[in-house]
Amino acid sequence: MQTAISPKQNSTKAWLKDNGGMIGLLIFLAAFPFIVALFEGQPFTEVLANETGNAKFLQGLLIEVFILAIYAISYDLILGITGLLSFGHAMFFAAGAYFTGIAFKNYELGIGATLVGIVVLGIVQAILFGIVLPRVKGITFALVTLGMASMFHIIIQASELAEWTGADVGLQGVTTPDLINTSTERFRLYLITLMVTFLVYLVYRRFVDSPTGRVCVAIRENEDRALMLGYNTFHFKLAALILSSITAALAGFFHTVHQPIVSPNVAGLGWTVAALLIILMGGVGTLSGAMVGAAVFRLLEFFLDKQFGENANFLLGVIYVLLVLFLPFGIVGTWRAKRFRTQS
Amino acid sequence: MGNLLEVLNIHTFIGQFHILEGVNLEVPQGSITVLLGRNGAGKTTTLKSILGLTPPREGKVIFAGEEIQGQRSFDIAALGIGFVPEHRAIFRDLSVLENLKIAERKKGDLARKEAFIFNLFPDLKRLIKLSGMNLSGGQQQMLAVARALVPDNKLLLIDEPSEGLAPVLIEQMMEAIRQLSQDTTVLLVEQNFLMASRLAERYVIIEEGQSVTQGAMADLVGDEETIHRYLGAA
Repeated sequence: MQTAISPKQNSTKAWLKDNGGMIGLLIFLAAFPFIVALFEGQPFTEVLANETGNAKFLQGLLIEVFILAIYAISYDLILGITGLLSFGHAMFFAAGAYFTGIAFKNYELGIGATLVGIVVLGIVQAILFGIVLPRVKGITFALVTLGMASMFHIIIQASELAEWTGADVGLQGVTTPDLINTSTERFRLYLITLMVTFLVYLVYRRFVDSPTGRVCVAIRENEDRALMLGYNTFHFKLAALILSSITAALAGFFHTVHQPIVSPNVAGLGWTVAALLIILMGGVGTLSGAMVGAAVFRLLEFFLDKQFGENANFLLGVIYVLLVLFLPFGIVGTWRAKRFRTQS
Repeated sequence: MGNLLEVLNIHTFIGQFHILEGVNLEVPQGSITVLLGRNGAGKTTTLKSILGLTPPREGKVIFAGEEIQGQRSFDIAALGIGFVPEHRAIFRDLSVLENLKIAERKKGDLARKEAFIFNLFPDLKRLIKLSGMNLSGGQQQMLAVARALVPDNKLLLIDEPSEGLAPVLIEQMMEAIRQLSQDTTVLLVEQNFLMASRLAERYVIIEEGQSVTQGAMADLVGDEETIHRYLGAA
């Protein structure tokens, strides 16, 4: 019997219709290296063989965008969806990046074992943040997480740990497995990071639409109300933190694979601010805004740097201020609000 | 008729401020009891103290024979106490359906209560997919009450249900509370004395953080001196 609360019948056709734009973008991005090669007069076989050229260079740039998107969406889950303001998010990313570097360089672990380690690391970090969750809220939580991340930043630069972390120089010359080597297997790494980015987005959307995700949204709006409905909000915040931490560590994994060096800067406050800026530009709490924001953030930085050299940072600052001023809900948030107004 | 809820001499502090300085009240099973008092008397704090949101430092809260003061809010709610806060406290970013679904304690709660809820608030059925932020004030208030009806609550605490509602909606809300009280005991905070007197069987008056009198509503209606002294109405 169909009732007002019956769930919408899901069908593959309906799913494809709802996600047509995303699938189109995925196909376009998968074909992008070949489109570039076509314009450059480069044979497709050279793209597949990872020969030097604009196609390979732009794949590298887009891999950086995908990594930023994975990192930023993980921040959107805890800030935009669950309402937890953390200033220590860079630690999640940096720990993943350092762990990957150490696993490959010092212990010659395989990809599978390293990824298992990333998941465990993600859970441990989230639990570490979770310890303070019931005790502090709002700006206090932000400052405590900043303190934790700062300690991590100091520890990885300690000279006593130079053998593993490279101290203040960072990890240099990480040898990544041939299968995902960014120099020799750029196209494969490009496709893997592209697929992982979309997969992470789909998993996050599913999470937000799930009963657990709806409680996270409720917590963001008013935690007391969620408590009054009988929810132990700590469990839900911890679940969001665990998913977010694993995802950020995964972004750190790809960062190390792609660079393949790890600078201590990735553990600094600047890296958390980058995530915040990306989701502010894209649209806080929209998830897809993190992807759009990451593309705007990295591509703008690249093109302005190319055109204006050392003046690029000033121009970037001006553009960020204008974007936040004129698109207060971010690019995706403003677009959604406009579409809603048009429809109603 | 036994008491479903008993509050015995509770003292509640918010920060360093002593807000409740000895509140006593009884809510008989199956009744509608109203908490009356002037603005700032401590009515909402009393509800929050029962729920553990502002836990009392002294005194007892006994629900269905069990002492619940000191328990965590979500554990208290899970015992079967629903709360409809003031100011139309719905989740504005969730749809009407999601606002109702999130109140389920057991899978299928909403499906079982669907007919009852939409019979009380027919408008909500039409608005089921709309986001909470797009509802009018009255619709939000109805959704807030409807949400508390989704799980099997033994006691409903309703804070100022008529606040800001048009007269026609107040009538509808009164009718809804009357109907839901057939299955659930209700403790109501209400400034609108006319509405309170028509709905409730019992009353408790709170003045400056203390309960000063309680009894049958029928007795209060005829007691103009008490009404004038504590409620400023005649």
